[in-house]
Amino acid sequence: MTTLNSRERVLKLFAGEEVDRPPCFSGMGNVTTEGLKSLNQKFAATHLDARMMAAAAVSTYKLFGFEGAVAPFDLCIEAEAMGCEINVYAHSEDLLYPTIKKKLIHNEAEMEIAIPSDITTRGRVPLMVETIKLMKKDIGAEAVVGSYVLGPFTLAGQVMELNDLLKLSFKKPDKIGKLLDQLTDVIIQVAGQYEKAGVDFITVREMGATSDVLSPRVFKGLILPYLQKIFAKIKVPSVIHICGKTNDIVPAMADSGAKAISVDQKNDVAETRKKLGPKALVFGNYDPYNVLVAGTPDLVRQTIRKCMDDGVSAVWPGCDIWPTVPAENFKTMMDEVRKYRR
Amino acid sequence: MVTEEKKKELLEKLRTAVISYDEDTSKEAAQEALDVGMEANDAIFNGLVSGMVEVGRMFEAQEYFVPELLMCADALYAGLDILKPHVKQLDLGVKGSVVIGTVEGDVHDIGKNIVKMMFDVAGFTVYDLGRDVPLDKFVAEQLRTDSDLVCLSAMMTTTMTGMKKVIDDLRAKNPNVKIMIGGAPVSQDVADKYGADGYAKDATNALKDAINMIASLKKMKDEVEAKKAK
Repeated sequence: MTTLNSRERVLKLFAGEEVDRPPCFSGMGNVTTEGLKSLNQKFAATHLDARMMAAAAVSTYKLFGFEGAVAPFDLCIEAEAMGCEINVYAHSEDLLYPTIKKKLIHNEAEMEIAIPSDITTRGRVPLMVETIKLMKKDIGAEAVVGSYVLGPFTLAGQVMELNDLLKLSFKKPDKIGKLLDQLTDVIIQVAGQYEKAGVDFITVREMGATSDVLSPRVFKGLILPYLQKIFAKIKVPSVIHICGKTNDIVPAMADSGAKAISVDQKNDVAETRKKLGPKALVFGNYDPYNVLVAGTPDLVRQTIRKCMDDGVSAVWPGCDIWPTVPAENFKTMMDEVRKYRR
Repeated sequence: MVTEEKKKELLEKLRTAVISYDEDTSKEAAQEALDVGMEANDAIFNGLVSGMVEVGRMFEAQEYFVPELLMCADALYAGLDILKPHVKQLDLGVKGSVVIGTVEGDVHDIGKNIVKMMFDVAGFTVYDLGRDVPLDKFVAEQLRTDSDLVCLSAMMTTTMTGMKKVIDDLRAKNPNVKIMIGGAPVSQDVADKYGADGYAKDATNALKDAINMIASLKKMKDEVEAKKAK
């Protein structure tokens, strides 16, 4: 087999073709402090400027050969476009990710909302489009460029009080279903913009629906139909990510219509592989903090090896990579994947 | 004087109300318990908390999930609000005051609220700083209130690292304060590395820890009462 570059390897994998080894990339945030340092950028400023965001996003590929680049880094894009106020912690020197400061729905009575008709031109959606174009221009020939949207349930948790969302999805599933339907439309529109901007793949992050929080029954009955609606509309390769306990819901995740499923360190991948068969694309599942940031190079090596032995299709973190990952650990991970042969 | 039989019936009613997240029944049974002259403490611990212990078991067995847990907590509070004003202050030899909050950058407060509930039940004075709390505020609040315990919660890896700073600052200002950390990304390893005294791995464990704490409080209470009876 001729040597594949990172982009070819990932795209072939998504297309269901044979690849020489699992690629090592992510569909979630993977900016590093090493990368920010090399650019002389502050994290807080990086979320508000397309040029800075793109430069930070591709820096992990450039510094470590990580096999793809992803923007944005926070989880507020869709909610912000819908009218939520965000906090970027501009005052802070620490690594703080933007959060929602003001929700749209504060109680059950406020659940009737109207979705702005110009959602794709609001908030930072245009900035994301610009960022994706810049990333493509920079590394698009060599490595995949991805972005992510939230799943409808997780987005609901951004626009309304989580407490209410969880209780009402049990007490009044019809009401929640109606909101999820509206949010599904928002997500489809935003993902459509990213596609137009040129992303190679899109991850849908539905971590709010983990079995640590919600029963598999509620996931399948209330949330899965909307995920299916979303994946039916996404034309580029797509990934469904759910963290935490997922062993009971991996068949449903595979049923969502996503090309690949992404799970974290709590998933027993060997069992998932058995359940879903050899062809299914399963991405995972190392702990991006306790192993990659806080672990020794030896622990990194063992963990990455185990992911591949368990049968992941791509070596991929369980969540956003925490930026302070030591360069040595990152290099160790990449080396371990590169020398792996099935 | 309330009969043993009536007492048993009401305790069971309180317990079931919590398990079946029935706020109305919880209120009703709490009021009835007071009306017939039951000890508020008895109704709380052997009724409401006993129900919550079962809920904790069901949560662990994955029969219940977080939505159910939240509804059970509402039912517990419904009864507790009625009973609490009638609790006789117990001298447990424990000061029992706690500062609790979710660290800056993190707006998830469900786990924190569940732990807080257990402290409320146990009769601790709780200084709840809420969510997305600037790190300095934990230290300032501990000093202001001279609390025994500070509980820090972080739901995401991306906010967990802020806890280290709070712990260091707390230790520098007050070496004796106990610190407990919790949240999805936290592990025993992290707790050790950050220098925390205890940790609650996730909602299940937080609940279990809190229940353990209350169980030991209950034990102390029984011992105190046994001594009194002598």
